Amino acid sequence: MSQSGVGVSQNCINAYQSLKLGKKIKYIIFTLNSDNTEIVVEKESESTNYDEFLADLPEAEPRWAVYDFEFEKEGAGKRNKITFFSWSPDDSKIKQKMLFASSKDALRRSLVGIAAEIQGTDYSEVAYESVLDKVSRGA
Amino acid sequence: MVNYGGDEVAALVLDIGTSSIRVGYAGDDTPKAIIPTTYGYTETDEPSSEPANANADGDVAMAEGEEGGAAGTQSAKKKVKLHIGSNGPSLWRAGMKVNNPVQNGIIQDFEPIPSLISYALEQALRCNPSEHPILVTEPAWNTPANRERMAEILFEEFNVPAFYISNTGVLNAFAAGKGSALVVDIGHSAASVTPVVDGFVMRRGTGSLTYPCISLVDTFSGLAHSALPQLVHAHARHMLTTPSSRRPAIQLYPHQLIAHKQPVDAGVAPKFELRKDRLEGTTDSWKQWYEAKEVDEWIQSVAGILDQGWNEHAANTRGMRHYEFPTGYNNYFSGIERHSVGEQFFTHSPQLIASNPNLPKPIPNLISSSLNACDMEIRQVLLGNIVLTGGGSLFAGFADRLQAELSRIHSHVKIHAPGNPAERRFGGWLGGSILASLGTFHQLWISKEEWQEHGRPIVGQRCK
Repeated sequence: MSQSGVGVSQNCINAYQSLKLGKKIKYIIFTLNSDNTEIVVEKESESTNYDEFLADLPEAEPRWAVYDFEFEKEGAGKRNKITFFSWSPDDSKIKQKMLFASSKDALRRSLVGIAAEIQGTDYSEVAYESVLDKVSRGA
Repeated sequence: MVNYGGDEVAALVLDIGTSSIRVGYAGDDTPKAIIPTTYGYTETDEPSSEPANANADGDVAMAEGEEGGAAGTQSAKKKVKLHIGSNGPSLWRAGMKVNNPVQNGIIQDFEPIPSLISYALEQALRCNPSEHPILVTEPAWNTPANRERMAEILFEEFNVPAFYISNTGVLNAFAAGKGSALVVDIGHSAASVTPVVDGFVMRRGTGSLTYPCISLVDTFSGLAHSALPQLVHAHARHMLTTPSSRRPAIQLYPHQLIAHKQPVDAGVAPKFELRKDRLEGTTDSWKQWYEAKEVDEWIQSVAGILDQGWNEHAANTRGMRHYEFPTGYNNYFSGIERHSVGEQFFTHSPQLIASNPNLPKPIPNLISSSLNACDMEIRQVLLGNIVLTGGGSLFAGFADRLQAELSRIHSHVKIHAPGNPAERRFGGWLGGSILASLGTFHQLWISKEEWQEHGRPIVGQRCK
């Protein structure tokens, strides 16, 4: 259980499974339901445009996301890494930041097979290059 | 499925620090009451039949055990009266001594704690503790025995319905929206660096900690803390009370001891008269405590930190600042004087290091030793998520200087320092306030029934 007591809805796990196994969904955005008791899926997308993914991270509200990150490894062909994002911009309300930070563990633990994790507070930290740099380091 | 009654649980949040005790309702953004942790006490020899209770002034009577020893079990009982709260230690009383149960952020003496908590909850907040769940904060280096003792006091003496104890490092990281962060907390007496990873404090090897010396770094874990703020304070005090070519030694008499004074020009010897009637009854401990407050006030008003390393020329260009002491003595303090105080957080002069091998480590060294104890992979994450908190970090220029110092050694340093001073002073309290206000947090509280069934071990099991 997370440190806030917030739970994870079955939808999140189902959506993640289809991203992992189906290879069709590119990314999932997770958020908290309106009464802050459960983590739910906000959006599933098949778009391969990374900018579109960034546009789905709100400017002043935290979110979590899972992105099926694909990149070229030199001389070794294509690699896929499922990357977990904790998005918490500094301008978010403090209660939201607290809720998301203390509930993250619940979501993170129920998703098996995450290869990399990114904690981002501004768009430079989740930009394609910085994520690529981090993801490819361990490849 | 548990049915939550929304986010209103009317929980209390209690944050005990070295300089003050912060208490208030969960969900608020600042504590309702802030009372000094330091308490005053007066001793009288005649035994009294008065029951131990708190009266309206916040004075608490407390019978103390037979300290006299062999003399006899019934006779030599000393009656000790505690003076707590904003009208407690800061009011002058004949023969009143002061004491502080918290040293280096940890409660060392539990004897006065129930009285302090009772004052904070019943007098300052005017609430009945048996009706509210209570969340207490603790520093990362708190001992298991200590937190269990706290649970015991609250359950047994205050009858609270539910209890939780949470780490200030984690609360500060969460309040900044970070599951992983390096929390740099500059308190009144201790400066600490706490690596938090995925919501838990990194305690590798969990070396047992002991706290007698003034500076310590637990070499087994990433957790590092030191008495640096005390050194900064001592430096300021030394500078003010040592005569120099520019001015005589400054007397730090508190206003309670001054009968009257006349306005004087800057730098001129003060014209004041002491209250002769009070000098006799003034204890050393009270005088020292109040003089320390005068020094602190001076620091808070005029001291600063240069944002790029020490440089006399740069310090000089910061200009003079005027400050007046309770004696009426007032003067302009130069940029060099003002900034040399804050400089102690970052560098120590070679002479000082040579004369004192146990000097508390400066902040950058604390951070380095903390990082060195952590795994390579997470160091970068921590450096990118430094959370600066604690009232001591409000020194003008602190965050900029830390950024400059760290950028020299590491790449991709990002410091998160809330711009709102209240968020920094009460970071830990605020984090606790949000957490305890969550409806979903209900299931994590240790209830009174659970405490009665499982006893002390449940504290460690539930509050990781």
